[in-house]
Amino acid sequence: MSQAAVAQLFKALGDPVRLQMVQRLSNGAALCLGELSKDLGISRQGARKQIQTLVSARVVQLHPRGREVKVQLDAAALAQGRAFIASLEAQWEQRLQALKQFTEQ
Amino acid sequence: MQNVIQRELLINATAERIYNAIAKPEQLVKWFPDSVTGDYRQGSHAQFKFGENHKSNVFVEAASPNHYFAYRWVPGGNNFTDDVLTVPHTLVEFRITELAPGRCKVSLTETGFANLPPEIAANSFSENSGGWDFMLGRLQQYFMAEAK
Repeated sequence: MSQAAVAQLFKALGDPVRLQMVQRLSNGAALCLGELSKDLGISRQGARKQIQTLVSARVVQLHPRGREVKVQLDAAALAQGRAFIASLEAQWEQRLQALKQFTEQ
Repeated sequence: MQNVIQRELLINATAERIYNAIAKPEQLVKWFPDSVTGDYRQGSHAQFKFGENHKSNVFVEAASPNHYFAYRWVPGGNNFTDDVLTVPHTLVEFRITELAPGRCKVSLTETGFANLPPEIAANSFSENSGGWDFMLGRLQQYFMAEAK
């Protein structure tokens, strides 16, 4: 994954509709467009656009299955984004514990 | 929408004590950077040093005694020593709420990750790959916090 792709990944996930779609895929299932966009308050056209954004960021992959297309998560891409946020979060956890120790002395 | 980190913890100390630990350089160095140089006051620039080689410039956004302190910086373990206001950066905010005398809730938020240049995020990446549930739970927390 290139560095530019990493930035794109973060932007792709920073949207409630797209994040909802990613959650529906989170058990590893391959879903069709209709299943993915159901009850999200967006048109089929809108859903296609959101999914294209996720494809460009390599969050999901498209798999043609006969006449329809299935959407599935791209696990490797998301793992990197998670690692960045998790490392920053761990840093804050340490710092805040240090603040607590210092101020409770 | 921005990406968000949010942490909260309870501290058995007065709001004034906690605020001073965050806002006064001589106390800040007891728990956070190893040294603070420059002008660590609202509307001014300062520099945090960590260890021998790592430096991070900060701009103090707000300083409201005993309640709120905020600064801007470039996170992710890089060595950024120019004016942070001229590049994409994150905002770090400390909020102190007194729950009872000598007992406070401290809330930390860091926002703005979506705007960061890719090399900053990439620098901090590891080969770590965790479970989906863990990851999505975290992501939702960070990304949705602003939307609420």
